[in-house]
Amino acid sequence: MKLHDFGMDTITLAGPIEAKLRAVREAGFTQIMLSARDLVGHPDGEAAAVRAVVDSGLRVTGLQVLRDFEGLTGQLHDYKVDVAKSMLEMAQAVRAPLLLVCSTTSAHAIDDFDAQVADLRKLAMLAVPLGVRIAFEGLSWGRFVDDIGGAWALVAAADRANLGLAIDSFHLLAKDTPLEALEEIDPEKVFFVQLSDFMWSAPSTPEARRETARHLRVFPGEGAHSPAVAELIRAIDRMGYAGDYSFEVFNDDYVQMQLGRVTDRARRSVDWIAGHVSRRSLPVRRPVAG
Amino acid sequence: MIQEYLPVPSNPLGIRGVEFIEYITREPLALGALLRSMGFHEVARHRSREVMLFRQGDMNIIVNGHPDVAAESAHGRPPAIGALAFRVRDAAYAHRRARELGAWDMPTRASAMELHIPGVHGVGDSLIYFVDRSEGFSIYDVDFVWNDGVAKLPPATAGMHWFGLVQSVHADRTADWIDFYRTLFGFEALEPGRFFGVLPKGTLLRSPAGGFYLQLVEPPAGADFVDWDEQLLRAGLGTPDVPAAVRALQERGVVFVDRPPLQPSEKGALTQLYFGTVCFELVHDA
Repeated sequence: MKLHDFGMDTITLAGPIEAKLRAVREAGFTQIMLSARDLVGHPDGEAAAVRAVVDSGLRVTGLQVLRDFEGLTGQLHDYKVDVAKSMLEMAQAVRAPLLLVCSTTSAHAIDDFDAQVADLRKLAMLAVPLGVRIAFEGLSWGRFVDDIGGAWALVAAADRANLGLAIDSFHLLAKDTPLEALEEIDPEKVFFVQLSDFMWSAPSTPEARRETARHLRVFPGEGAHSPAVAELIRAIDRMGYAGDYSFEVFNDDYVQMQLGRVTDRARRSVDWIAGHVSRRSLPVRRPVAG
Repeated sequence: MIQEYLPVPSNPLGIRGVEFIEYITREPLALGALLRSMGFHEVARHRSREVMLFRQGDMNIIVNGHPDVAAESAHGRPPAIGALAFRVRDAAYAHRRARELGAWDMPTRASAMELHIPGVHGVGDSLIYFVDRSEGFSIYDVDFVWNDGVAKLPPATAGMHWFGLVQSVHADRTADWIDFYRTLFGFEALEPGRFFGVLPKGTLLRSPAGGFYLQLVEPPAGADFVDWDEQLLRAGLGTPDVPAAVRALQERGVVFVDRPPLQPSEKGALTQLYFGTVCFELVHDA
């Protein structure tokens, strides 16, 4: 695996977007995962942020994150569709090939699989004219979907070409999800992989998982589950996944450290992964129909 | 609120055909002259805007030279296909249903007509309208003045009728657009390799009521097409007799591509490119 297979995520770094872009580029990375907040929170406005991203020369891995989308009804649904449209427009503006969408945690969402499927289809259709793909991720504290199997069930049932899965190592580690769960998944529907670890054993409650996920993640190779992280990356590589890996490291300490110190840690993590996953597999060859 | 999710009908919007295709141009007179060569007649003009209605047989073309629209369009300099209007049973229903399924409502740009015609976002800058008044008092009666001394319903040259539209898509985006047209409009992809005419490329989709096709074309493999935008490229006109149509149009001055494999044949023909962006394809279709 090479450095260009990996990207950093702006949520790991402190400061304005320009400083984050510069630090990531200077560390040798070629891609970056953006948050919508990076764009709309820019003091000179969203257009200035978009310009900074485009001018940085970094490839945008994707834009995050649309939350609590599926399963809402009535006004709440309409409201969330408007939010989704804003994020899709931002993704298009910043040339993000995908929008990350997390499984709902909303108490207002209804427990209706078919309704959730219909909502994901709608989101996928909204994304088509803008050229954006939807990567759906099962949060380990999600209300109805809280693991990769549940996320895959929705994505597979929705069955839209531009709708796929995001795999986040944190959620698999936090719930001790066995790697066999990956065997059910069509590798071509894995759109995106996010990597991180954390420093203790799997938190037992959804609340504890969320707390850890949002404040205390570390880079692969720095945490308590290094063998499991390496095994997961090997398994994803064996599936034939050839897309991007992004370090999804939310950490309250890293956002009060010098940016260069944090990007150094990210670089060490790439080296650590490269040492444990020697090379990317050849793409899975499929028989061509007809 | 009770929501029941049942299988959708094969023609969810009640599409019955194509009401009109709109071209946007800064030079409506030049485009109008080309349309006349193609057998269209200018039958009406907008009461207050630089918008004309051309017609032959069942085909309506709106030439929108309204300065705001022509300047606004990303493809504003050369003429471009700006909209496709479907005939539907109930335009308000079709508009609502399409949005429920994930279509973007029409952007608030100046439309060709003052009459509000509901529409949604299509590929690129284009729109897809829904029209439910195609007989009797038509949408054109509201905004247009019929030209004196011109038949309102001029017959079609060589039985020409709408066959389809060709849309460019980015590499690996065909499946996304198939889903789009299938989910929102009930189009179905034909089996791979099924083509009509002289340009057997890409993927064909058939309208739910039949009779109208969309052809999705990705950039040629291995080519680095920097300028390959997603947009509506050209209209296809069906005719039961391609050679007769070609002869009739050649007499009017239309130039056809004559180099193999695109030379006019029983199967189809392709006009030269006018203004750098506009051409028409003839397709054998009874």
